[in-house]
Amino acid sequence: MTGESVEKTYCFKTENKFIVKSGCKKRMWRSLKQILTAERALPWPNEAVLYYSINAPPTFKPTKKYSDISGLPAPYIDRHSKLYYSSAEEFATVRNLPMDITAGYLQLRGANTIVG
Amino acid sequence: MDTDEIENILVLKDYKTVPDIVHEYSPTLKFGHIPLVIDNGSYQCRVGWSINEEPNLIFKNYIARPRKDRCKKDAEPPVTPPIQIGNDIVNIEAVRFQLKTQFDKNVVTHFEVQEQVFDYIFSHLGIDSEGSVPHPIALTEAFVTPNYCRQLMSELLFEGYGVPGVSYGVDSLFSMYKNDIGDSALIINCGYHTIHIIPVIRGRVIEEHARRINLGGSEIICYLHKLLQLKYPVHVNAITMSRAEEIVHEHSSIALDYQETIKKWANPDYYEANVMRIQLPYVQTVTSTGLTAEQQKERKKEMARRLLEINARKREERLADDEENLNHLLAIKDMIEDGDTDEFNEAIKGFDIKSYEDLQRQITNINMRIEKNKQRIAAAATAEENLETRPAGRLNPPTEPEAFQAWLTDTRAKYRELVARREARRARRAAMVKRRTAAAAERMRVISRLAAAGDDFGNQDSDWDAYKSISREADSDSEADGERVLELEEALREYETPPANSSQHHQLHLAIEPFRAPELMFQPSMMGNVEAGLAETMEYVFKHFSSEDQMLLANNVFLTGGSSQFPGLKERLERELLEMRPFQSTHKVIMAKNPSLDAWYGARDFAGSNEFESWCISKEEYYEMGGEYLKDHYASNKYYKSPAPIIDNTLAPSVDANVVKEEIVVDC
Repeated sequence: MTGESVEKTYCFKTENKFIVKSGCKKRMWRSLKQILTAERALPWPNEAVLYYSINAPPTFKPTKKYSDISGLPAPYIDRHSKLYYSSAEEFATVRNLPMDITAGYLQLRGANTIVG
Repeated sequence: MDTDEIENILVLKDYKTVPDIVHEYSPTLKFGHIPLVIDNGSYQCRVGWSINEEPNLIFKNYIARPRKDRCKKDAEPPVTPPIQIGNDIVNIEAVRFQLKTQFDKNVVTHFEVQEQVFDYIFSHLGIDSEGSVPHPIALTEAFVTPNYCRQLMSELLFEGYGVPGVSYGVDSLFSMYKNDIGDSALIINCGYHTIHIIPVIRGRVIEEHARRINLGGSEIICYLHKLLQLKYPVHVNAITMSRAEEIVHEHSSIALDYQETIKKWANPDYYEANVMRIQLPYVQTVTSTGLTAEQQKERKKEMARRLLEINARKREERLADDEENLNHLLAIKDMIEDGDTDEFNEAIKGFDIKSYEDLQRQITNINMRIEKNKQRIAAAATAEENLETRPAGRLNPPTEPEAFQAWLTDTRAKYRELVARREARRARRAAMVKRRTAAAAERMRVISRLAAAGDDFGNQDSDWDAYKSISREADSDSEADGERVLELEEALREYETPPANSSQHHQLHLAIEPFRAPELMFQPSMMGNVEAGLAETMEYVFKHFSSEDQMLLANNVFLTGGSSQFPGLKERLERELLEMRPFQSTHKVIMAKNPSLDAWYGARDFAGSNEFESWCISKEEYYEMGGEYLKDHYASNKYYKSPAPIIDNTLAPSVDANVVKEEIVVDC
């Protein structure tokens, strides 16, 4: 015990199952994505229903466009910043937004990737 | 009008949690093998005994592992602050970046955190039995939980805590049976990370046609959080995740017809009448301390005077010291001149002097220092006089209020005019650089006239201004103006009163936002998600059933889960059903009585029933069938045995590996 903090112990268990002492190598836990990939790789029978097989279908309805800054229906798009806007006043606002804010709005809409 | 406005302003409550008490572990519980019911949700965990009416513990499924304190004093050993779990975290914003949860989406994947949470649960229930937790456990798990996760959970419970038995169930099914709505229903379970649509027909869960939308309360909260931060970049730190959560929980709702609702907001009158004003906490400006500007100035002057005094005293002291030293050295010099070598050698020992030359040098040094100090003292004295009679600058405003106001408006106007002029000049210069602009053409015209000008150019001073108008560089005019602008800016900053009502600057105005964030459930495309929304997915699920079964489902649409508590969700679903169902067919939407707690109540009834024992996986079964084994019951997932055993040496460290780790600890 050289300055090492005392690990809390409980009488109802004899030793920790997964908790590692501080300073020890941490066990890496698989993320859900990794677990699902591993699960998918197994030869499941046809009737088995698994986590990945009940994902919602992709949408078939045309997505509606809303103004990024106000949420109003937006018929226009600013070609410079790629933001949607609904009126002339909004256009003036959009044009004066700093780069980080426009980037934030695009990210919020999931439109910040280069493709699409 | 004023009072009206005040009434409309919402003040955030900033809820704080109350740390949980350690509950009493009565002999009935201890020796009765009472089942323990845990609804392990990704938002909240609810825990209680099967014989109780209400859960004993309700806490957010988070732990905060504080970073190790950097050693401030070398002597002290590093102190590891304790891990905070659940309701121990009083102010969640203070530890926002250290938060951990055992969940990835709606599934438990991080079992070290889960073990810590179990420790918290069992210790707060007061369990004090030696070596094991002697209670069977009814635990909720996600719909179609991967076997791998269940295996680790069973491993933890059986091997870590030595529980006698475990039974797993699905939260939304427990909630459905608790609400007693018959054995056929379309369950819509709106959770913290997912929305499940689960068809149940005549008591049988049709899993293959169930669907999950990967979006829930947490996404709605994050969306609103970011939206508000982008709308109010000034308040980026005041808009916390907890406040966004509070707005979502208490002030948001689902629009019956989203398109119609948002169109209304385009009308300014409607906006004014319906906008939601939310007050952020703010600190009153410093002027409210009761000191007038005059008093503050006095105080500053007093401080300056004191500083000067201290400096002067120090200088005097130094001068006195030096003079004393000089006298000593001169005395020693006298000694050597008298030829008293012995006495001289004795005396120089105390002064760190090596030779006669050294002594001479020191004497001149001190003389110089004394001279300098005397000059400084003299300079300080005159400066002090100057300070008293500092001439008033030309931007000192008049003292009487009306004249002061006039002066202020005048100064402001001057400032604006200068700035406008500067802008105009800049624009002109920018235009001149480009070809084919009016400014460039004008410049060329002036140049050609200059070339054609005869001998009388320069007879008038104003002729030279022509050069200013064609110069592309900043000219002397703009430099002079720039200085003047700075001067005025400074004056305005000093004398202008700060804006009167600072509370208004700390208000959030919410218009569409309280509808926009929950609308994500119906239009995930608003955050770039390609999945279908709730209504579309319901339609998709209906398509897989015969028309009789569709009728059964449509007449028993059951809404449960914490995120289903948005006002207007039920009405919206009814409207959507009216749209998607055949003409003149019936449909019905039923809300759970308690959308967030009914899963626990249902699980409690399940654990309290006589058959509970038979639905439990016993320790023997665990060892025989493996960790992923699941006993099917009315509210459970269906068990599909994994086709091949999962062997993964990298994830399950062998015993040897543990031993090595121990050694490492001892070494350090």
